[in-house]
Amino acid sequence: MGILASGLPDLVCNDEDLSRFLTSSRYYNTTMVKGVAFLPSLADRESSVFRHASEPLDRLISLGKTYAAGDRNLHGAAIIKTSVVREVGLEVRADEPPPFHAAISGWPSASDPDLELARHKELANVLASASLLVRFGEVL
Amino acid sequence: MPEAFSIGFLASYTAINLFVRSNNGVSAEADALRSSAFELIRSSERSVALFGRQNDAIADIHLLAQECSSDSTRLDPVAIELAEEFLRVLPEEIPIPEFAAEPRGSISLDWIQSRNRMFSLSIGSSRRLAFAWLDGTDRGHGVVAFDGRCIPRKVLEGINAIIDGNTGFGSA
Repeated sequence: MGILASGLPDLVCNDEDLSRFLTSSRYYNTTMVKGVAFLPSLADRESSVFRHASEPLDRLISLGKTYAAGDRNLHGAAIIKTSVVREVGLEVRADEPPPFHAAISGWPSASDPDLELARHKELANVLASASLLVRFGEVL
Repeated sequence: MPEAFSIGFLASYTAINLFVRSNNGVSAEADALRSSAFELIRSSERSVALFGRQNDAIADIHLLAQECSSDSTRLDPVAIELAEEFLRVLPEEIPIPEFAAEPRGSISLDWIQSRNRMFSLSIGSSRRLAFAWLDGTDRGHGVVAFDGRCIPRKVLEGINAIIDGNTGFGSA
């Protein structure tokens, strides 16, 4: 097993926490993260996450502001265990740089784009239900 | 035209309201007239409430479009039109969902009862709507056709299963 520039092993272990940054207030409500927050991007069919737990919070926020938010506001993060992602048939792989970055991949494909989206939504719902919502104190 | 309709409606509504409250006739005919007027007022108020909530929801869709106008989740204009159609035929007993933008420019409509019970529908650039649901350990997905006149049966069943707690809804 190799070591990455961040100091993390190149293999993402099942018990690692993953953070999916929330760049819209529509990606969560007062009680939970919504499935839409986990849907993969069209460009690479992956969902970008960071190998970081809810603490330390200041480092989590710094990661989000520096590498995830871009021009968008940073509202919070969804924290989920790698094991949960793998249990629904998706994969998590280290993807540095940037530091701590990983990707949720293996989203199912289908010749029918609407059916493909429906499958993605089903898995995204499961991820959302299993994730912890961390709201940053103010919109950053 | 909408302003003329609104003024005319308000004038009629006000007149009927005044009649009901000031009329003190004691005959059977007066009672029947008052009862009819009351019913007309109640019906009008229900209509305003119904269209009010739909209009509020459509306004929220447009607000979402504005929020996304400058980033990668820009809403597809056809998705916005179809979402408006969908909301206009949404039955009164179905709650207005939460809205969010999806990566492909479609709109996610989410009915969330709890962390483990939700129904999510996507409205994109075609009349084929993708949906997925989670109900405890049960989950599923499907695609339905939307004709613009009524909500697809599977969607209604899925939403009702989540908000009513009735089990037995299966995936397509």
